[in-house]
Amino acid sequence: MSQSTSIDRSAIRRGITDALPLYVPAVPFALVIGLAIVEAGLNPLAGWSGSWLIFGGAAQLTLVTLLGSGAAVIAAITAALVVNARHLMYSAAMAPTFQSQPAWFRWLGPYVLIDQLFALATIEAQESDPVTFRSYYLAAGATFWTLWQLTTALGIFIGPAVPDEWNLEFAVPLLFIGLIVIGIDRWTKVVAALVGAAVTYLAAGMPNRTGLLVGALVGILAGTIAERFAR
Amino acid sequence: MTTFMASVVVGIGTYASRAIFILALAKRRIPDTVMISLQFVAPAVLSALVIAVLSNDDGTVALGIPEIAAFIAGGATVYRTRNHILTLVVGMTVFWVVRALV
Repeated sequence: MSQSTSIDRSAIRRGITDALPLYVPAVPFALVIGLAIVEAGLNPLAGWSGSWLIFGGAAQLTLVTLLGSGAAVIAAITAALVVNARHLMYSAAMAPTFQSQPAWFRWLGPYVLIDQLFALATIEAQESDPVTFRSYYLAAGATFWTLWQLTTALGIFIGPAVPDEWNLEFAVPLLFIGLIVIGIDRWTKVVAALVGAAVTYLAAGMPNRTGLLVGALVGILAGTIAERFAR
Repeated sequence: MTTFMASVVVGIGTYASRAIFILALAKRRIPDTVMISLQFVAPAVLSALVIAVLSNDDGTVALGIPEIAAFIAGGATVYRTRNHILTLVVGMTVFWVVRALV
């Protein structure tokens, strides 16, 4: 077996078992997307196709919501792309790890590089050899992908039955808080997180949700400057 | 058909944003200053997302006492237990209880 296609079975099991609990908070997100597709009056199959064409919940939700509200198609596409532009930063952060990987994996891997997988892969990359990392990444990615296809389809059927007053979509920011806290190992990352949140809050009125990008970039800059003072 | 084609366009753009540095920089070394900045991508983007998903189209942010209480309770839970499911149970419960009280 060549090195570029060998796998690590224990890393595959770990990838699946790490992905499962992280996916739970995405279930209400998937149900909300199903509900939005139904409420927007879109063709359910066309709306669901975004689950595998885009494979990104925030962009898919932005797209179906805007298309359903009668926004211009080009405006809906632009807004969805802006929401997903944060993946540029994930791509840059993951690039060093992917340098030791074969070409097929460098082409396939980015397709499943969602928020949750980025969080898992960042931790895994610190302590794994290339074969272990690749096995872990593909197993976790395939788990997220399969569950996402199933639960967004399920959302189209049962989404309308979830009472609005439960506000289950609040599980999404709660999940992000959990990921932030687990990832913080230096005080400079606290600076990046607090500044990122504060600037996004102040920029919330910017069009097409671009405040998210401004807040994230200023947060990264603040963390980098704080790191300079720390050294 | 419009919905499907719009999803195709967003799908291509999303893949490109996830792939461009991995494919274009795969054979190149990234400067140290960039590497230092990259470690702040996750905390900065994730916290920006917290605010973004609470934002409304009119620029207001639904960040009140119930949300802040739930974030503190959820943050403390994940800090102590590292358990995301328990964090969601505690966070959602605090959110519902505080929202009912205030």
